[in-house]
Amino acid sequence: MPEKPIPENDPVVSKSLAPHYVISMVILMATLFWALWDEDFGQRPWKAFQHEWKDRYSTFLKTARSQSRDSQKDVESSPDYQKLKQDYENASQNAAPRIKEINEKLRDLSTMILAVQNVFTDRRAYVNALTYSIETETSASSKQSKQKDLASYKKEKTAVEFPDGKKQDFDYEHLEETYNDLKNERTQLSAELGELIKPVNERKEKVDAYVSEHMVSLTPTQMAGLQDKTEAWTPKILQINVPEANIVDRCESCHMGIREPVKLTAAAMSLKDKKPDEYARAFTSHPEPDLLKIHDPEKYGCSPCHQGNGRATTSVEKAHGTYEHWLWPLFRRGNMEAGCQTCHAADMVLVSNDVGWTLSDGKDLFRQRGCVGCHRYEGYDKEPEDLLSVAQQIKQLEQEKKDNFKQADDLMKEADKAESNEEANRLNDHAVALKVTNSKLDLRIVQLDRSTKSLLQDMKKVGPNLKDARLKLNKNWIPVWLKKPSDFRATTKMPNFRLNDEQIKAISAYVWQSALTDPLPKHKPGNAAHGKELFETRGCLACHSIGEGEQLQGGTFAANLTRVGEKDNYDYLVRWVHNARERTRPYCPYEKKDIGPEDFKKKGLPFVFDLEHSRCPNDSHELQVQNMTVMPSLRLAPQDAEDVASYLVTLKKQEPSAYADASFMDDPNLRAEGKKWVRHFGCAGCHEISGLEDEGRIGTELTIEGSKPIERLDFALLTETAQRGGSEPITDLDDLARLPEGPAKQPWYDQKGFFEHKLAEPNIWDKGKDKPETEKLRMPNLHLTKEQIRALTTFLLGSQENPLPASYQYRPMDYRRDIQEGWWVVKKYNCMGCHQLIPGQRTSLMAMARYQGPDGQEQLPPKLLTEGARVDPEWLLRFLKNPALNDKDTNRNGVRSYLQVRMPTFSFSENELGKLVRFFQALARQPFPYIPEEVPVLTTKETEMARSLFSSTAAPCLKCHATGDPAHDRTATAPNFLQARGRLKPDWMERWIIDPQAISPGTSMPSGLFRRENNHWVFSGPTPPSFQGYDKDQTKLLVDYILQLTAEEQRRVGAAMGRARASSGSAPSGVKAAGNAGRGGQE
Amino acid sequence: MDWKQLWEILSAADNVPIIAMIPLLAFYMYLAWKQAHANDLIIAELEGNAALAKTHHRKAWPFKPGWAKEVHVWPFLLRVEFLAAIIVTIILMIWSITLNAPLEEPANPNLTMNPAKAPWYFLGLQEMLVYFDPWIAGVVMPTLIIIGLMVIPYIDTNPLGAGYYTWKQRKFAIGTFLFGFIILWVSMIFIGTFIRGPGWQWFWPGQTWDHNRLIYEVNRDLPDLFGITSNWGKGIFGAAVVGGFFAIGGMLVHAFFRRHNAKDYKRMSLLQYSIMMTFLLTMLALPIKMLLRLLFHIKYVWITPWFNV
Repeated sequence: MPEKPIPENDPVVSKSLAPHYVISMVILMATLFWALWDEDFGQRPWKAFQHEWKDRYSTFLKTARSQSRDSQKDVESSPDYQKLKQDYENASQNAAPRIKEINEKLRDLSTMILAVQNVFTDRRAYVNALTYSIETETSASSKQSKQKDLASYKKEKTAVEFPDGKKQDFDYEHLEETYNDLKNERTQLSAELGELIKPVNERKEKVDAYVSEHMVSLTPTQMAGLQDKTEAWTPKILQINVPEANIVDRCESCHMGIREPVKLTAAAMSLKDKKPDEYARAFTSHPEPDLLKIHDPEKYGCSPCHQGNGRATTSVEKAHGTYEHWLWPLFRRGNMEAGCQTCHAADMVLVSNDVGWTLSDGKDLFRQRGCVGCHRYEGYDKEPEDLLSVAQQIKQLEQEKKDNFKQADDLMKEADKAESNEEANRLNDHAVALKVTNSKLDLRIVQLDRSTKSLLQDMKKVGPNLKDARLKLNKNWIPVWLKKPSDFRATTKMPNFRLNDEQIKAISAYVWQSALTDPLPKHKPGNAAHGKELFETRGCLACHSIGEGEQLQGGTFAANLTRVGEKDNYDYLVRWVHNARERTRPYCPYEKKDIGPEDFKKKGLPFVFDLEHSRCPNDSHELQVQNMTVMPSLRLAPQDAEDVASYLVTLKKQEPSAYADASFMDDPNLRAEGKKWVRHFGCAGCHEISGLEDEGRIGTELTIEGSKPIERLDFALLTETAQRGGSEPITDLDDLARLPEGPAKQPWYDQKGFFEHKLAEPNIWDKGKDKPETEKLRMPNLHLTKEQIRALTTFLLGSQENPLPASYQYRPMDYRRDIQEGWWVVKKYNCMGCHQLIPGQRTSLMAMARYQGPDGQEQLPPKLLTEGARVDPEWLLRFLKNPALNDKDTNRNGVRSYLQVRMPTFSFSENELGKLVRFFQALARQPFPYIPEEVPVLTTKETEMARSLFSSTAAPCLKCHATGDPAHDRTATAPNFLQARGRLKPDWMERWIIDPQAISPGTSMPSGLFRRENNHWVFSGPTPPSFQGYDKDQTKLLVDYILQLTAEEQRRVGAAMGRARASSGSAPSGVKAAGNAGRGGQE
Repeated sequence: MDWKQLWEILSAADNVPIIAMIPLLAFYMYLAWKQAHANDLIIAELEGNAALAKTHHRKAWPFKPGWAKEVHVWPFLLRVEFLAAIIVTIILMIWSITLNAPLEEPANPNLTMNPAKAPWYFLGLQEMLVYFDPWIAGVVMPTLIIIGLMVIPYIDTNPLGAGYYTWKQRKFAIGTFLFGFIILWVSMIFIGTFIRGPGWQWFWPGQTWDHNRLIYEVNRDLPDLFGITSNWGKGIFGAAVVGGFFAIGGMLVHAFFRRHNAKDYKRMSLLQYSIMMTFLLTMLALPIKMLLRLLFHIKYVWITPWFNV
C-alpha cells in the first residue's frame, strides 16, 4: 500500500467541514421541499383531478349555457309559453294599481305606528314597573298610595307628534288603543296584499315550471348556478360514508361528474380538439342515471356495485383496487354487471334499460347449458336436494311409525297378561295413544308426499332420459355422437368431453345396456307434408331450431332438429311429440328403481301411471311419472303427432343405416368400465341414467366462486405465463376464438382471466401436465361463443360472498318476491320464446319470416305485459293447468282459437302454478288475493243501449272477435266474448276498450273508440238516440254488457249484424235489425 | 436465468434494507479492517520504540509534533456527528417518501401466503427453524444468543484493544464475532430472503419461484442410519453423539486455543474458560447441523420425547 503523506496540521482540528455542510444542507432543504410537495400533491393526486375538473366543467358549462339560452328562446317562443306568460303579465298588470295603493298606505301607517310606538313603549314601561312594585308591596298603605300614583300617571296626557307635523295629546288608555288600532290596520292591509300577489306568483311559477319542463337540459339559470358552484370549489376529498354498511367511498374525489345533473360525455369533457384523456374519461356522468335513482349513492356508495378500493386516494391503481393486494378489483367494462349479481343473486331476470342483459344471459346459460348438473349454485336446480331431504324425513317418520306400532303391540300383549284391571287399562291407553300418534305421523307423511309430488314434477334434467336410449336412438349413432357432439349438431348443449375411443366404447355400451327394453307401440307412417306444416305453425320453433349456419331459424332454447332423422326412432318420436312427458316406466325414488307392469300386477293394478295415478304400487310413495323434460305437450291429435314425427324423420343428411356398425355396445364386459366413466364424467347431472339416479354433482360449488382468492384458482403450470402475460397458452383456433378479449396481451392472473380461459378451453390447466385419464380435468368444452363466455364470466365474477348487511341484499318480502320467484319458472319453460314479458323484449317467433307483416303479427302469441291486470287469477290458474279450457276437446287453444300457434300444456306442479299466477299479478302490481267486483245486472233499457254499442257498425266488435261459429271464426283474430266472464277484470276491460294501443302496442284492436265528454267516456261513433240523458260511462256499460253476454245473445247480435252488413251495401241509411239490435249506422 | 423473478425479489420494498445491508457491511468491514491494519503497524512500531510510545498520542496516525495530544468533543467531534445526523435524516426522508410501508391484503386465516416470511431481521431465526425443533430454534437458541452476548464482558480477559481498531491484539474476539455475525446471522438472513421460495424450498438466485415445483427429498434421523429403532436407543445414541461432539470438538478447540491464544488461556479462570467453550462449541454446532441437513439430509441427531436436536 503506498504511504500517504502525513499532513502538517492535525486534520481533525484543521480540516474545514463547510463544503460538506453546505452540500448536505442543500440536499436536506431540497428533500424537505420534496416532502412538502409530496404531502400536498404527490400523495393527493385527486387534487390535480379537481383542478382540471374546475377548468373543464366551467368551460363546458359556458358553452352549454349559450346553447341552453338558445333552446330557452325556442321554448319561450312556443304558443303555450306565450299564453302562460301573457296570463302572468295580465294578472300582474291587473293587480298592480291596488298593490301600489296598499304599499303607499302601508308606508304611511308604518311611520305613524313608529311615532306612537316611541311614546307608548316608554309609558308602558313605566306602568309595568310601577305595577310590579305594587304587586310585591307588603304594606297595605303604601300599596294604596302607589295605586293612586299609577292611576294619576295613567291620566296624564302626553303629546304625540305625527310625521305630517300634527300634534295630539293622549292619556295612557287612549294611547294604547290608538297604537293597537294602527297595528290592526297594518295587518289587514298586509293580508290583502298577500291575497293580491298570490295569483301573480302562481302564474310566475307556472311559467318557470314550463321552461324547466320543456328544456332538454338545464335552464341557463340553473347552469349559472352550477358554474358558480364549480368556480368557487376548493379542493377537498369527497366521500360517501355509510357506517352501517361499512362503506367509505371517495371515488367522487376524482369522478366529480358522476352525479352532475347534466349529461357529461368523455368527448364533452376533453380539451378542445383533443382526444379524451384520462381526465375526460374520469369526469363523465354516470351512464345510467336511472340505476342511481334506485340505488341512491348516499346509501349504496360506489364500491358495492363496482368494487375497487373506495378508501384509497393515493393513486388510480390503488383506488381501482387493481393491484396484487386488493381482493376486490374494479369490475372491468365488459363485466360491469357482475356488480348486480352480488346483491341480486336471487333474480333470474335483472334488467333496467340497457343494463343487465349480459348478466341475465349468464344466468340463463348457467341453467340451460347444464352447468347446474355438475356445479352446485345456491338457488339453481334445488329440487334434487329438497327431494332428498323430504325423502329422508319420510323415512324417519316411517321408522318412527313402525317403532310405535311395535311398542303398541308389546303394550297390548303386556296388558293381556297384566295382574290388575287398572294396570291393563293403563297399558291399553298407552297403546292407543301411540296409535293416535301414528295417525298424526301418517298425516305428516301425506303432506310430505304432496310436496314430493310437486318436487318430482318440478325436477327437470337438461339432457334427455337415457333410460329410453334403446327405444329412441339409432344404436350406431351413439359412439359417433359421443366423439364430438358439436360435429353432429353445432349448437347442441351436449358438450365435448374429449373422450378417447375406449371411453366412448365403454360409455355407449353402458348407456345401451342399462336402458329399458320395454316394447314401444308401433305407428304407421304419417303425412310428412302435413307434419311440416304443423311443425312450423304450432310453435315448435319458439324453442327448437332448424337449419344450420345461415339458414338456422327458430329458438335456441331446445335442440336443433336438422339431423334428427339420423338418430331417432320414428315410433319413439311419435310418443315424444304427442306427449314428451310420457315415461316408459315410472321411477320410484323410495325404492330407487323403475317400476314395471310386473310390480303393478303383483298388487292387481293396471299398468297406469300419470299425475293422477302417481303412487308406487309397492310402497305407495310418490313416483316420478314424467320424463324430466321441460318440453310440454302441444295437445296434438295422435294422427297429427304421427305426421310431425314423420316429418322429423325426414330431416337428415345421411341415412341412419350409413353409420358404422357398433355391435360392441352389446359386450357385457364393457358395462362396468362404462359405468365407471359415466360416473366419472358426471353424465347423470344432465341425463337420467339407470343406476345413477342419486349421483351427486361432480364439480365444485360456484355460489361464491367470484370471491375465491386467486391463489385458490389453480393455474397449474400456466401461473407464470398468466402473471407475466406471456404468449397465449390456448393454441386451438376454435378455442382461441372464444376468448372475449382475444389472445392475452397483458397479464391475466386474475379471476376474470381464469374463468375466461377455463370456459374457452376447459382443460387448459392440463397443458403440460402429465396425468392419468382419471385425473385429467373433467370439465367438457361447451363450445360457447365470445359473448356467452363474457356473460358467464360476468355471472361468476359477481358470485361473491357479500360483506354488505342483509338489508342491502335484494330479498324483498312483498310482491317483488313473487316477481323474483316467478321469473325462475318463466325462464325455466322458456315462456319468453313465445310471449313478450318485458317491453322491448324479442321472442323467438318474432324474428321468423312467417310472423312478419300485419297478418303475420296477428298470428303471434299474445303479449303478456299486463297479463296480471287483465285476467282473474283464478281463471289464469285454470288456464295454465289446461290451456284448452276443456277436458275433452283438447286439440285447440282455449282462448285464441284463431291462432295456429298453440299454447301448450306444461303440466305445471301446484307449486309452479302458484308461483306463475302470483308472478303475473305482482308484475302488474295487482293486489293479491283478487276479489272480483260485483257486476251490476243491467236493466232492459241499459241492455238495449249496450247492445246498440256492441253491434254498432262504427265498431263492429263481432267482426274480429270469434263467436264460436266455425264459418266466422276462420277469419276471426280476437278471442270470443263469452270467455270474458270469469277471465277478464272489468276495470282492465274498460281501460282496454278506451286505449288498447297503450296497453299492447301493435294490437289490431282500434284505439279511439271512446272519447271524453263532460268527465265521462262516450262512444266516438254515432250514438243511438236511446243514450239521450245517459250520464254514466258508456265504456262501463259496454263492459258490463259483455260480462253478461250469453251465447244466445251473441248469436242473435251476430246474425243481426251479418244481415245489417249484407244489406247496408244497398241501403245507405241504417237498417232496423231484428230483435232489439238498435240502430245499425253507416259503414 | 429468470431476471424478472430476480428483479421482483430485489425490488420488493421489504427487501430494500437487506439489499442496502450487503454493500454497507462490505464497506464497514473494509473501513474497520483498514484502521485496524494501520493501528497494528503503529503498535508494532511502538512496541519496538519505548520512547516514542511515551509521547505518542492518537493511534491511527503516525506521530507529528505539532498535533494536540487531545482535542475537545465540541466542536471537533460534534460537528462530524451533526453532519452524520443530517445525512441520515436525508436518507430517512427520501426513503419514507419513495417507499411506502409494504402493506398487504387483509389477513385470511384460511389462506396463508406462500412463502410466509418473517420481517427481514428475523429471517435468520426463521431459517434456523428448518434445522431444529421450534423449541430449540425459537426459544433455546435466541436465549443462548442473548445470554452469550451478556456473558462476553465477564469472560473477555484480554485487556488490549479497547477504544481503537486492532486485529492483532484481539484476533480471537474479532474472529468469533465475525463468525457469529456474518456466517450465523447475515448469511442466514440472505438465505431467508433470496434463496427460500414457495414451500420454503431452496431456489438459487435467478431460478423461477415455481409454486408447482415438486422435489424429492427424504430427510432421515441419524439414529435411523445406524438402524436404531427403540426410543431409548435413540435417546442414548443421540446423547452420545452430541456429547461426543462436545468432547472431541472441545479437545480440538482446546488444543487450538492453547496454541494460538496462549495469553488469553492463561488469564482465564476455569469457569470463564468452560463457559466460553460451551458457547463456542454451540455456535460451531449450528453450521455443522445446517451442513448435515443440506448435504446429507440428516434431520435430527438426538431424538428425545421432549426435544430434538
